[in-house]
This record gives sequence, C-alpha cells and structure tokens, in this order.
Amino acid sequence: MSLVVTKNFGNPQSWTLDSYRAAGGYTALARVLREMTPEDVSDLIKASGLSGRGGAFFPTGLKWEFVRKDPKTPRYVVVNGDESEPGTYVNRYSLELDPHLMLEGMIIAAYACHATLGYVYIRGEYGLAHERTQAAIRDAYAAGFLGSGILGTSGFDFDITFRRGAGAYIVGEETALFNSLEGKRGNPRYKPPFPTNVGVWGLPTAINNVETLSAVPDIMRNGAEWFQDLGRGEAAGTKMYCLSGHVAEPGVHELPMGVTARELIYDYGGGVAGGRGLKGFKPGGASSAPLTPNELDAALEPKSMGALGTIMGTGGVVVFDETTDMVDVAYRDALFFEEESCGFCIPCREGAPNLVQICERILHGQGTMDDLELLEELGASMMASFCGLGQFAHQPVRGAARRFREDFVAHIEGRPIPAAAS
Amino acid sequence: MAIHSGAPRRATLDDAERPKLDQLRQALAPLRDEPGTTLEALYAAQDIFSYVPPEAVTLIAKELRLPESEVFGVLTFYSMFHRKPAAAYVLRVCRDLSCHLTGAPQVLHAFNQALGARVGEVTEDGLFETESVSCLGLCDLQPALMVNLEQHGPMTADKARALLDDLRARGAR
Ligand SMILES: Cc1cc2nc3c(=O)[nH]c(=O)nc-3n(C[C@H](O)[C@H](O)[C@H](O)COP(=O)(O)O)c2cc1C
Ligand code: SF4
Ligand code: FES
Repeated sequence: MSLVVTKNFGNPQSWTLDSYRAAGGYTALARVLREMTPEDVSDLIKASGLSGRGGAFFPTGLKWEFVRKDPKTPRYVVVNGDESEPGTYVNRYSLELDPHLMLEGMIIAAYACHATLGYVYIRGEYGLAHERTQAAIRDAYAAGFLGSGILGTSGFDFDITFRRGAGAYIVGEETALFNSLEGKRGNPRYKPPFPTNVGVWGLPTAINNVETLSAVPDIMRNGAEWFQDLGRGEAAGTKMYCLSGHVAEPGVHELPMGVTARELIYDYGGGVAGGRGLKGFKPGGASSAPLTPNELDAALEPKSMGALGTIMGTGGVVVFDETTDMVDVAYRDALFFEEESCGFCIPCREGAPNLVQICERILHGQGTMDDLELLEELGASMMASFCGLGQFAHQPVRGAARRFREDFVAHIEGRPIPAAAS
Repeated sequence: MAIHSGAPRRATLDDAERPKLDQLRQALAPLRDEPGTTLEALYAAQDIFSYVPPEAVTLIAKELRLPESEVFGVLTFYSMFHRKPAAAYVLRVCRDLSCHLTGAPQVLHAFNQALGARVGEVTEDGLFETESVSCLGLCDLQPALMVNLEQHGPMTADKARALLDDLRARGAR
C-alpha cells in the first residue's frame, strides 16, 4: 500500500531538510507554483476527498476556497498541533519525524488561500516536536521556501510564526486556539461566524490539523483519484491510526481510511495483550463511545462510526481486555472532561462533574437503576453546551452504559463484573 | 479547568530573587511589540523563577500593556504554569485511560512513596514533585510520563525508582 503521511518516518534523520529533500521534498511546492493557480489547488484537494483529520472531517479544499473568497486581508493558515485527545499521538509522530512534510502542505495551503501569514501551534508538552518544527521552519526560510517571493516567484509571500501551548485540551478547538494565539485564555468563541471568515485576529483563517496538511504534497504529485482510491469504499485516502490500552503492540499505523477495527487490532497491533479476550474498544479518543467485539468488522471511518452511534474522532483506538470494568472506563473519561472543561458555559461546567459523581456512585456500589436514567437526561442537557467538548463529554459515558449495561447493573446490584463473552 | 481545592498555589519572591526581575524585563523586550505573546511571556518568567510569581505578573502586564487581571487569567488557565516554586524535576504522570489501564496508578504511587511526598508537593531538596496530568500524547509509551519535557515510558514501579536515582545523579540543573 502507498504511504502518504508516514512514508519518510524510516529515513535517517527524517526530520532534517536534507533528508526531506533527498526524499523528493518540496518538489510538489515547486510544481504547484510553476504550473497551478490557487483555484487549481483547492479544486484538486476537493476532488481528492481530503477531509479534516482533526476529527470533524470537513472537506479541506472547500475550506480553502472559503478563505480565498473572503476579501479581508491578511489571510492566515494555522496548523492545529494541539493534539490532546486521550489515546491519540499521531501528530506527535509527524512533528517529530517529518515536520517538513507538514510545512510543505501548509505553504501549498497558503498559496491556495491567498494567505500571507501563518501560525504553527503545538501543545506545550511536545518538547521534541517544538525543537524539530522550529528548526524545520528556520531551514525552510534559509532555503527560500518561506518568506517573500517564495522560490523566486513574484508575489507569493508567506511568513510563519511558531507558538506553543501551555497545557489545555480545549485549546484544540479551533476558536479556542485562536484565543490562545492571541495571548488569551483558551475559551471557545461563538460560531458562526466561522474561522474561514473570522478567524485569528478576526481575519479569514484556514485552520488544519497536522495530518491533513501532511497529505497535501502527495496529492499534488499523484492526483485526486490516486488519493481517493487509497481509501476503502467511499472513504478517501489513508489515515494514521494509533493503538493503546490492552493491545499487544501499541503503535502508529497508516492504513486505508475505513480499515476495520479487527484488522487494526489483530493484524497490526498483535491482538489483545497477553492473548486475553476482547471486551471492547474505543474507535477514536475519549470523546468516542466504546464498541463491543460484535462491532469489530465496522469500518473505522466517519460514516460507519456515526451509524453505530459513536464517532471516528482522532483514530486513537483504545483496546479493553476481558477483565476491564467498563464503569471504570466511563469514569476515567468523565474525569478527563471534568478536568478539561473550560468552565465557560453552564451545561458543561455543571454537567461534567455530575457525570463524574454518577460514575463514582455506581462504582462504589451506591448507584441505583435511576442513575442510568439520570445519565441519559444529563446527556441530553449537555447537548446544549457551547462547544464540542461539552456536547461530546457525555457520549462515552452514556455509550458505555448502553452497550456495556451488564457492568453498570452488576455494580448497582452488588454482583461481580461479568467476564467478556468473546 | 477543574477548580482545585486547598490553599492557592501562590508565592511571592524573596529578596534574593528580586534582581531576577531585571532579567525578566530583558526577556520581555522582544515580546513587547508582537501581539499575542502573553503565554511566551509567562514561559519566560517560569524559565527564570521556576514559577510565575505575582511580581512577574505585574511586570508582564506593564511591559505588554495589558490589564494585570488578564495576565493572571491566562496564567491560571493553562496547567503547565506553576504559581509556587517548582521542583527541578517535575514528574508529570499521565492519569488518562490508556495509561490508567496499564499501570499508571502504581507508577505514581511508587514515586510518591519513594519521595515521601504527595502529588504537587516539592521534596525538601527541591529536586522533585509529581503531577497527575491529562493525556500527554505518549500513549504508545503507556504508562507514560514526562520529566519536565523529557519523554519516559513504558514505566513500571521499579523503573520509576530507578529514574529517581538517575535524576538525583544528574542533580539540580
Ligand atoms: C474539544 C475539541 C478539541 C479539539 N482538539 C483538536 C486537536 O487537538 N487537534 C485538531 O486538529 N483538531 C481538534 N479539534 C477540531 C478543531 O476544532 C478543527 O475542526 C480542526 O483543527 C480543523 O482542522 P482539520 O479540518 O484539518 O481537521 C477539536 C475540537 C473540539 C471540539
Ligand atoms: S462546552 Fe465546556 S469546554 Fe466548551 S465552552 Fe462550554 S464549558 Fe467550555
Ligand atoms: S493516555 Fe497516557 S499518554 Fe495518552
């Protein structure tokens, strides 16, 4: 299978400019500037089916077109490297091992958007990624891939500022990230207006995930159809999936978008750790509701996951062995959202601690069947939250209570947790 | 952010540290005219003092021409900023799902037992403190932790104790 976003990971010193250029790096940019108009670029990206890897899967080419068509200037391209969804570490690999690939994609995005300014924002904890990405930006300037008159063109100027976060999951939400870039608390903003029209500093902004941008250079080289065909069925391209939890071999795998969880866990992850049975798995980070072994053959892509009442999310798959207490899993998720709720709106600020309390009651044998009803009601009220964090926070807890109801009932009735069926 | 109970994590400068405010003023000079640099300014203060004392908040507000309340608001929003003197080695132990399932609680316990300290307490020699933190994006290294920004994992209780010996040998930086 063709690799798109991880193809250089095994090259010696893969993060350096020399290594990247030896692997053909920055030739896609050169060709784009020579042969394509900004419209050609966004049209090609639209046709490729590339959609946002940050988890919302918005069509990338369309986003760029919206930004280009907004008359306000300067326009911005922002890289979202805040990656903080529990179970997810794919952007870390890209930033540590191939920052130039992301930069080349970002510069092509700037060309397509008529953007002149950019930010790369990386979460505060990714120290090695900071070093290598900052070095990559410096080297790209020195080689003429950034700055004024890029690669000898007249009129294509693009400047990048590097910024790091300081510990806050919510800042991954795009409008919260703009606030953080502006030096403020990372609370989200109202949408609409959308970032494509009113983004960082109130100006048109294309904000994209690291992985989304890393796919761009090869799409420019090989065409839209090539990328489309890399996915399974209707899903386009490849996706970096990553495994953790009770899996034999945790790690990152770039696979066709729409690979099944069975393939990922058993063919690529070596199965459940210790050869134990599988109780369930989470398809994409803390925000995704867990699934059962009966759902192992569902495709890990947004549509099939949506049909099962969960989300594809980040592709951070977490595996649970047969001994796992799914109430405890739900509790860990609730604790995460309680900690990371930014406190700006009431349904989430009050709802997240309530989720924790209900899980605690059940875990400690003080729960009742009414608590399961209460979870559903609480979830419905949290749908009124201001941003995605609160709107998703209850889903993994409710999802666990529905699909793994026996575990919840066992706690409530004071019985041992049933062993997994498989 | 969850609101933590207990005494506010705040401490003021002692006389020996006051001259460092000049060092901070110099570090802030290049940030003054670039908009949106509050986080970088707070990092600069933390690099100098190991934490962000109230005096630094006042200075940052003055130099960046912002209300002090706004700088303080930013300081309290982000979990990586310290408001009391931090240890030379901050052991950030992940407590989220993947690490939790694979032994993070035992690792944290091993640290705290070996150090005779609770989460957030600096040891008397000033070398160590543990933090129990959200997912570090190191889940392939589960259970994972960071020593300041250095990645470690997969950890066990034994490796945790060995790590402390390593770090003691390195000494305060
Ligand atoms: C609570 C929350 C956290 C998010 N965290 C991230 C993140 O860490 N990285 C990311 O790329 N997108 C994250 N997103 C999605 C972004 O808001 C946005 O959709 C994305 O950066 C757009 O880039 P893409 O289209 O390339 O995916 C988050 C969204 C929400 C609601
Ligand atoms: S939903 Fe939660 S994270 Fe989002 S704005 Fe409301 S309190 Fe903040
Ligand atoms: S869950 Fe511990 S590093 Fe991600």
